[in-house]
Amino acid sequence: MKANLENTGVSQYTRSFGLSLALASVVNGLLVVAKEKSPAVQAGMQRLTGNHWVTHCVVILGIFGVGGWLFARPNGGQGFRLATNRLIGTLVAGVVTGTVIILGFYLIGD
Amino acid sequence: MNEIIMMGHVFFGVACLLAALWVFVETLNASQANQTRIHRISCAAAVCMWIAFFIGGYWYVTSYHADKVIILKGPWPFAHNFCMETKEHLVIMLLMLATYLPIAAAGNLSANKDARRVVLWVAGLVALLAFTMEGEGGVIAMGVKMGLLAH
Repeated sequence: MKANLENTGVSQYTRSFGLSLALASVVNGLLVVAKEKSPAVQAGMQRLTGNHWVTHCVVILGIFGVGGWLFARPNGGQGFRLATNRLIGTLVAGVVTGTVIILGFYLIGD
Repeated sequence: MNEIIMMGHVFFGVACLLAALWVFVETLNASQANQTRIHRISCAAAVCMWIAFFIGGYWYVTSYHADKVIILKGPWPFAHNFCMETKEHLVIMLLMLATYLPIAAAGNLSANKDARRVVLWVAGLVALLAFTMEGEGGVIAMGVKMGLLAH
């Protein structure tokens, strides 16, 4: 049996920012639906920065950045323990879900 | 000046796409010899994406309204109602993925199969989304042309 001499596992920031990206992608899709369906939400986002799309970007990128930093804190700074397959699955699922929500909303729901 | 701004947006978007493809292929053949290059090109992909995002975002906020009116009055209103509306929100995911790429590529890819797999998936998603953005941008531009030709 051939010995596996390769290192395994990824850094805590690869895990934390990967999880944060998945979360932010889903929130991105949901925020699109919320602001398009609710004039009050869109007006509030417009007031915050002068443009609702700019506010949207700031919120989502903020979730990504803060989330990535936060998810690296548990377990004494080692971040969440997560198998690489699970990380990749979560990342892809988040991006696909966000994409489907956005495309689906503008194709069907808008 | 508007047109030069838009060409800059497209240029850096394509540069990001090409950089992501470069990272993908180099990672398939990861070794000590190309480790530094992989990380540098992944950083370049992220920088190009941020530049494309700021240029496009600036133009969208300051100048797109005039084009939007033309598109909506023309024969291709879907160029705004679907393509621009989805593009302006999908691009945020592309920006996050491009920013994440150098984070994922920071490990020892030649010795770490798990790190290589993450980079391959992220680089692939960046390339796929960037290609989609380029296509939608093309349709939006054509929507303006169709609107102008119709009147």
